[in-house]
Amino acid sequence: MDSPEQKITKTVSRVDASKESMANSRQVIGINFCGPTPLMWRADDLKSVRELGIIGTLVGSLARQPRQNTRLGRPLELLPEEGRLMADMGRAAVIPDSTNEDPEVNPEQVEQYHAGLENSFQEQGALALEDRKTTLMRVITEKHNENSGSQEDSDGAVRDRLEALAHGFSFPRTAMAVQLCTARAGLSHCPEVRRFLAADWPIPRDERSETRFRVFRDLRRQGFYLTSAGKFGGDYLVYPGDPLRFHAYFIVVCISMDESMPLCDVLAIARLGSNVKKTVLLCSSGGSQEDDGEEVVYTSLQWSGMV
Amino acid sequence: MFSNSLAFKTPRTRNHKIPVRGQKDFIPTGSDQQRDRLQQSLGEHWNLVSEWRGCEWNLVKAVWIPSDMIVELQSPAGKFWQTMGFSDHGKQCLHPEEALYLMECGNLQLFYQDLPLSIQEGYERFLYSKTMSIQHYQVFGHLKRLGYVVNRFDPSSVPSQYERQLNLPQSQDRSGRLPKRKRSHSPTSRIEEEKDCNREEEDKNPDSLPDLSAPDIDKIQTASHVDPTTSTEGGQGRSWWSKKGSRLPGQPQSSPRWDFSSIPFPDLGSRCWLPSSLTSPDPCLLPGAVGSVGACDVAPWLQRLNLREVRMSRREWERERDRDRYRRDINQDREVRRCRNWAEYQELQERRIQRSRRDRPAHLWEGPVTPLHDPAQVTSTGELLDKISVIKSTRLLEGESSLKGSEEWRICFNIYQPDTVAEFKKSAPGKPYSRMCVCSFDGPVPDLWTLKLLAFQSGDVPVTYAVLDHGDISFYSFKDFQIPTDVSF
Repeated sequence: MDSPEQKITKTVSRVDASKESMANSRQVIGINFCGPTPLMWRADDLKSVRELGIIGTLVGSLARQPRQNTRLGRPLELLPEEGRLMADMGRAAVIPDSTNEDPEVNPEQVEQYHAGLENSFQEQGALALEDRKTTLMRVITEKHNENSGSQEDSDGAVRDRLEALAHGFSFPRTAMAVQLCTARAGLSHCPEVRRFLAADWPIPRDERSETRFRVFRDLRRQGFYLTSAGKFGGDYLVYPGDPLRFHAYFIVVCISMDESMPLCDVLAIARLGSNVKKTVLLCSSGGSQEDDGEEVVYTSLQWSGMV
Repeated sequence: MFSNSLAFKTPRTRNHKIPVRGQKDFIPTGSDQQRDRLQQSLGEHWNLVSEWRGCEWNLVKAVWIPSDMIVELQSPAGKFWQTMGFSDHGKQCLHPEEALYLMECGNLQLFYQDLPLSIQEGYERFLYSKTMSIQHYQVFGHLKRLGYVVNRFDPSSVPSQYERQLNLPQSQDRSGRLPKRKRSHSPTSRIEEEKDCNREEEDKNPDSLPDLSAPDIDKIQTASHVDPTTSTEGGQGRSWWSKKGSRLPGQPQSSPRWDFSSIPFPDLGSRCWLPSSLTSPDPCLLPGAVGSVGACDVAPWLQRLNLREVRMSRREWERERDRDRYRRDINQDREVRRCRNWAEYQELQERRIQRSRRDRPAHLWEGPVTPLHDPAQVTSTGELLDKISVIKSTRLLEGESSLKGSEEWRICFNIYQPDTVAEFKKSAPGKPYSRMCVCSFDGPVPDLWTLKLLAFQSGDVPVTYAVLDHGDISFYSFKDFQIPTDVSF
């Protein structure tokens, strides 16, 4: 990572960001369901969604290095609460699954595909030839600089060699590189069309999902970033800023207002929190089914030491 | 973005390094420095995430067949064939999760209806069933990326407890069951092979029972207390080897090979047995290639037997005496000797129990609730403690026979360690390192019944639980541990 590249990236991203934020205000992000799991596939969507404070988890292999687990790539798996929040805000829509309609082989598309491949092949071949030529030129000029021969001879020689290269060069088909698409091509990538295609967000049926969602919405409104926290024995991990740069503050455990929690469970979760240096938040929502207006109640547990 | 100018150089020359994430901050201060660092991290992040996936054009190509839910290879498989895939009617095939993983690694191009499939389409088409959902695929991918060899679990491939005790050699490719309408592991003929293997122990000499000629039988003087049993050969005396004269080649193999009622086992250690040799066995009883074996000279073997009297030290003799104080040889009991058959012996036992019961106080023993233990009965401390215990400890694999299958919990994968990859053979994979069950933090915690069920299904291979939490995976396993008891029996 050399610094000039860094600086360029920075300025470009700033410019892009302003352009994008204007475009995003109209853009509807597409969410695809794989079974009961909401996923997002397009890199642009992932970016715009992060600006809304939705982090998600990457679950696919990274294109650059597929055989490691430290950094993963697309698709992005969303928490059901994240998806529901975006759908409620009107910023995202569920793209219905079109795989079950199995059309016949579409000869037009196949022809297009092969034509595209042929095109790529020609272009790549030409580029490879150019690349070889420049390498050859560089080698010749180096040699020329070393032994100072007569000018006219060397020019003629260079031309001959270039011609020979052009004749003898062949770019085999096997050397062609091809793209393996991560996201599906097609209608769903047009933002305008998404509104028409949108299906309804599946509504959860039980109290626990409802509580989780209300807690999520409330914390998000306050500007926190949330991710899942199964490994910490809770429902969410709460970050003051982007999780890439900050440590989590809280572990959120969602419980129902009326439910009584046995003392051992309270002790267990409190000890866990103190071991990982995070505060545990017990959260419950108002209880009734009306939307908006009821409050979320928070209780924090923090190990304070013996007196 | 994909462009031809980049494409022809990669994947060989592409930069494969992943930038390292720096230290995180604890408090957001809103400072420029923090913002810049965030922008940089995000920038790197988007670069990595949006990079295109490429592969060489002539890479392995395959076709998706939805009716069978398998992927059929169109060009010869690469290095991955050593640990993944299976053959079906001469074609090389892959399971959908294996194909999807290879696509993600850039090693496979998958076509459906003549057009290449994207990874998104792969996810949507392959991962909707209960056997292979997106959760299962996440665990599969995670483990494959770490280098493990992962394949689907087949319950019929686990040897039963009895087979393990016998230490049978594993038959080749035991996944011979052909499920209806689904992909097959191997052709039907394997099923017959399997059944034959199971019978092998009993069935050493299936069809080659030759002539039923009488073997040479020498008269052997055996010890007097061995009674001459039935002899089908007209009372020529006992021989070391019995004849299988009554068995015809075509008969079903239901009776045991050896007729123990007619085989006397010479007591070589007994002092009154003095033959010089054992007769030669009937060749039809020996394994095919051995042929006929001559008579056995017993003398050198007798020399090897230790026929000396045991000389115990005084302490050992005392210990023996104390032990024998409570041991009654049942054959010395006169009443038992008077019994002529098993029924009479049981009657005697009943009478004896009744007699001892007559001495017991009625108020204790006649009511519905009786004492746990009769002081007149001999028992040890350990047994007494067992009687008064409230909870019995159990081993994980106990009570297997009463466990029935579960819809919710099942073992999905076999895992083999990465360092075995070099010698890994699909036809004889050996014992897996572990077996995987996939569940989620949203679902129920496995209870003891589930743990037992899965441990039993897995045989002697430990089971690991992969718990998913919206993309994060944690692995848990339960170990069977026996608390030592402090009582000598």
